[in-house]
Amino acid sequence: MTVQPLVQMTSISKTFGGIAALENVDFQLLPGSVHALMGENGAGKSTLMKILAGVIQPDGGMIRKNGQIVRFVSPREALDAGVSTVFQEHSLLPNLSIAENMYLGKEPVTKFGVTDTAWMERKAKEILSELGLKLDPATLVGNLSIAERQFVEIARGISARADVVILDEPTAALNAADVEVLNAQILALTKQQKAVVYISHRMEEIFKICDTITVLKDGRNVDCVPVSAIRPKQLIAMMVGRELSELFPPRSNRTEGEVVLSIEGLRLTPDATPSSIMLRRGEIVALAGLEGQGQRELVRSLVGQYTPHGGKVAVRGREFAFPLSGELGIREMQALGLGFVPEDRKLEGLFLDLSLAHNLTIGLHSRHFELKPASAHREVIANSMKSLSIKASRPSLPVNALSGGNQQKVLLGRYLALGADILIIEEPTRGVDVGAKAEIYKLLRDYANAGGSVVVLSRETLELIGLCDRLYVIHDKHVVTEMPAESATEHAILEAALHS
Amino acid sequence: MKRPYIVEVKTTEMSQLGRLFVGANSRHGLWTVPLLVALACSLALAFSTNEFVSSQNILNLVAQAAPLILVSIGQMIVILVRGLDLSVGSVVSLTTGILSLNAPVYVAVPGVMLAAVVIGLLNGITVTTFRVHPIIATLSMMGIVQGITMFVRPSAGGSVPSEILFLVSGKLFGIYMPVIWVIAAILVAWKVVHGSRFGLHLFAIGGGETAATFGIAERRNVLAAYVLSSCFAAAAGIFLAGRIVSGDPNIGTQYAVDSITAVALGGTQLAGGVGSLHGTVIGCALLAVIANGMNLLNVSAFIQTIVKGLILLAVISLQPRKTIGL
Repeated sequence: MTVQPLVQMTSISKTFGGIAALENVDFQLLPGSVHALMGENGAGKSTLMKILAGVIQPDGGMIRKNGQIVRFVSPREALDAGVSTVFQEHSLLPNLSIAENMYLGKEPVTKFGVTDTAWMERKAKEILSELGLKLDPATLVGNLSIAERQFVEIARGISARADVVILDEPTAALNAADVEVLNAQILALTKQQKAVVYISHRMEEIFKICDTITVLKDGRNVDCVPVSAIRPKQLIAMMVGRELSELFPPRSNRTEGEVVLSIEGLRLTPDATPSSIMLRRGEIVALAGLEGQGQRELVRSLVGQYTPHGGKVAVRGREFAFPLSGELGIREMQALGLGFVPEDRKLEGLFLDLSLAHNLTIGLHSRHFELKPASAHREVIANSMKSLSIKASRPSLPVNALSGGNQQKVLLGRYLALGADILIIEEPTRGVDVGAKAEIYKLLRDYANAGGSVVVLSRETLELIGLCDRLYVIHDKHVVTEMPAESATEHAILEAALHS
Repeated sequence: MKRPYIVEVKTTEMSQLGRLFVGANSRHGLWTVPLLVALACSLALAFSTNEFVSSQNILNLVAQAAPLILVSIGQMIVILVRGLDLSVGSVVSLTTGILSLNAPVYVAVPGVMLAAVVIGLLNGITVTTFRVHPIIATLSMMGIVQGITMFVRPSAGGSVPSEILFLVSGKLFGIYMPVIWVIAAILVAWKVVHGSRFGLHLFAIGGGETAATFGIAERRNVLAAYVLSSCFAAAAGIFLAGRIVSGDPNIGTQYAVDSITAVALGGTQLAGGVGSLHGTVIGCALLAVIANGMNLLNVSAFIQTIVKGLILLAVISLQPRKTIGL
């Protein structure tokens, strides 16, 4: 006997502006399962889930919920039909309490027509404790941590009696302890024969908690397999059509170049151990270690965006004492050929509403006197777009219309156009799909081979090992050890960090 | 200037100050501070002047504050949904203008309320359907309504129906009418803002773009907020017409700025989603006490205007921005 699927999506199609985001995609969700939806960025995972959640409407295809054909025209309708979504962008209202957020839009009223806060809070408390959460339902959501907000979103789904819970990158903002809490909640949901859709880029999570995987690529089904029947390597191959080892370009065997950047005796806080770091011409150096151990502060010190306690830095012979001054620090460093690519490209890196051409050349413009007529730099733009293979229909396209990978390339291109020969990059591939990742790695390696030097920091240790020449392991606000990337392993880095 | 690099995502947590004065789980804004200031001012005036505590002066104070309270309540409702209504002053003027046309009361009063509803609807439609910024939408409306007022009553004068006179200066069950107006307005507004689903939805809409995903009809609620604002302004106009027993095309001019000042003074955040009725009433009371005190102390009217401007500036810049919603 076969189990009736909770959700059955058949040949779903969706086109955005002439480009097919989904083509005849099938998706089936069984009760009591945790179903991973995998694929590169832009493969159509989010589009598919937004259709299921009623955020967007499909152009074609059919959705059955418990065997009934349904059509959700709003998230509210989907929720009422039992499909609850926890999206990456949080949708809870910060100025309302947990209970109010859970029952907003269908609040009960007392016989005087006043909203029945007591009832809502009592019900909310029951559901929260069902999930093992000890939160006061009267707490304003604005006072909760990001993790707690996510839990409340799940609770909100349960309060609506949802039997399908969609989790879109739920662990992106969670620490290890909160991930455990989340996993326990997922388990509790499956025990009640509810189904969970789990979208994540983190392989280990997928293999730990999911039981079925559906892989999408370019808006089409690739396969749907049980987790037990597949290995991580095969899964990646399915997603990108190539193996992980092909992601990284080979290191070059060059002789050691001269030192272009050296940091000496940098102390991030008064009581931190001093650290020294140096960077040679033609090499890519990584700052590795556990999250939040001072890597970011270290690179930000270099551009005057963090105020360390003391130390000095020499950029190709010119010495500066820490701390550097804010705006001035960045300008001085840029004049010395040092480019800083911040992690948050949308907030700190790019001018989202400006065209990609402007974003590419804004560094060139900023060098000149403000009243100097601006040259169009058509050649620079054309060359950059070609050499970085930025995929865009025209240079005047606003940069926020580009995909994450292309945005990152534009940002890199800005400093390359400036002729920067030292790049300091935070999270070079954050929110970038696997295909574009490989391109960015190759770009950075080519840049190093041509005589540039790069400092990278990233949360993804594998990326650092694969991409870089040398690693500095940072722990407790100082450099613990240094190791060649060739022989480094995730385990060794962790060991070095924790047993320092 | 050095900027410390902020490592974590900015959370919307409350500032320490916020916690101290409002409690951690309130979206009512910082209303306790103006309350303390108002009490302190009253106390100081009670000791420094002989007239402040006299029953005549207190009745004056209430009568002065009443129209501001009415206008400010409407203003607050609009501000809660991240809007602003600059046309309230012209609505007040227009109302006195229409009432002074000597029409019978059963025509005049429905007439002004109808005008208010139409103005509110137009404001709301411009903001919601045509996506015009509230400041621009209501600033334009302010000019339009002011112009119409000038046609209706080019200069101060005329006379209002005697019933309206009674509504303002009479007594009901031994209570002076201005007091009744204030109490009635507070009761109605409490039900609307803090005691109904509509009120909760106002806060929800002010809280963020995502309110619609909860199934809240954002457009309809915002529209209603602007209509309410106009209607409260019209009520203030009726009250004022009764006080001056005539129409005056310029009587409402100050109310746009004054009401915004009072609302902000009461802890309502101009970014929407945080605020309270009691805060607004306290804000109005504080403004009235300050004005009344300056009158008693013979401070020049010019200086009074300067002081009001300074208060608005100070209140907006001192509002704890880290409190939720902004």
